[in-house]
Formats: sequence, structure tokens, C-alpha cells
Amino acid sequence: MAIVQHDPSDWEDFEAAARRPIEQHIRNSFIHTYKPVLDDAPYRSFDSMEAYRQWCKDNLPAWLGYSRV
Amino acid sequence: MAAFEFKNAQDLGKVFQGHGVRYLFFGKSGAILLGYSDTTQDVDLYVDKDRENCEKILAALLELGFRLTEKEQEEVRRGKDFIQLRNGPFDMDLVFAPDGIERFEDAWKRRVERHGFPVANLDDIVGSKQAANRQKDRESLPRLLSFRDWMKKQGGE
Repeated sequence: MAIVQHDPSDWEDFEAAARRPIEQHIRNSFIHTYKPVLDDAPYRSFDSMEAYRQWCKDNLPAWLGYSRV
Repeated sequence: MAAFEFKNAQDLGKVFQGHGVRYLFFGKSGAILLGYSDTTQDVDLYVDKDRENCEKILAALLELGFRLTEKEQEEVRRGKDFIQLRNGPFDMDLVFAPDGIERFEDAWKRRVERHGFPVANLDDIVGSKQAANRQKDRESLPRLLSFRDWMKKQGGE
């Protein structure tokens, strides 16, 4: 697999993350932010991924980025 | 809703293991367990859609404190393709049929163990995001690919 062009600052971040205890790494990574519509129901289910993607396209604000390109 | 903490991951791992659930941390949450530095809100689990496994998932979810109605419990038993849970101790998505992966068994064979948790292979996480091809995936993929290269350079996975 080809090595992609990378931003050197990314690799510095990865190296710094690898030095942190897992507890700290998780705390830094899971940030609760409210996502309109998506977070407004306690439970949703979909019979197919296609149905889920369509629901995202039809219901979520475009800026959340859940629509297929 | 409190953010997901390592203690939550430990509880999840212990309860899922106790019930014998076949699951993998997946998506960005899986990548984070592999060491990826980025942020996310919820936990994505790729779970085996096998009927027996779905029964175990339901028992594990109830033990963890997810509040499910009878109808929702039946849907978990049936193994829908995607279930979004915002009714428990942390936000979690159950993915039974992720984009880009044909069979759970294939991903299971390629899994890696990190901190005692079963995590999907980074190639599967990347491949699924490429197949999903959402705007948010397109924006995050260059950095995730960079992480994969970094991991390979470290000799990981």
C-alpha cells in the first residue's frame, strides 16, 4: 500500500497521543457535543444502511456532513 | 449525557465479554482505541448479526443500563442494520452491516486487541469510511490515512 503524503504535524500528534495514558487519551478524544436532530431522539433504528443514509440526507443539517458525496 | 470515559469502555468490555458478545470497536472510536488522536462523540460497535449474538447484545445493553422498550428490545433481537442509542450511560451506535465489509466473520479474523478490547483492523475502519463516502468521511480520511501510515511505520497492526 502506498504511503500517502502526510502533514508532519499529524505524526507529531500521533506520537504525543501514544505517550499519553489510555485514560487521558480517551478523555481527550470523546467529547460530547450536541448534534441537532441526530441527538434529539433516545433511540432510532434502520432496517438497512441505505435507509439510514437516506434518513440522514433527508433530515440532518447538511453541515453535519452525514450526506454522501 | 456525560462523555465516554475509559471506565465506560472497561464496563462495556466486561459486560459484553461476560455475555459472550461478538463485537468490535469500529469507526472513529475504534481508531481512537488504536491510538488515533481525534475527537468523536459516540461509540461505534460493529456487532455480529447472528440471532444468538443479538440476544446476548440485548442482555448486555440492559445490564449496562440502556433503557429499551419492549419494541426496541425486539428490534435488537432481530438485528436491524443500524441502531442508534442515546438512552444509556453513553451514546452508542450498533452497526450490524457497515459499508465496505461483507461479513462480520472476515472483520473478526482481522481484528486487533488493544487495552483488552477487540478493535476492527484499521484497514477495515478506513475501507468502511471510504465506502460510506460521506462529507465527514472525506474530510477526516486524509488524517486517518496518515495515522495508518504512521502505525505501519511503528510496526503496529
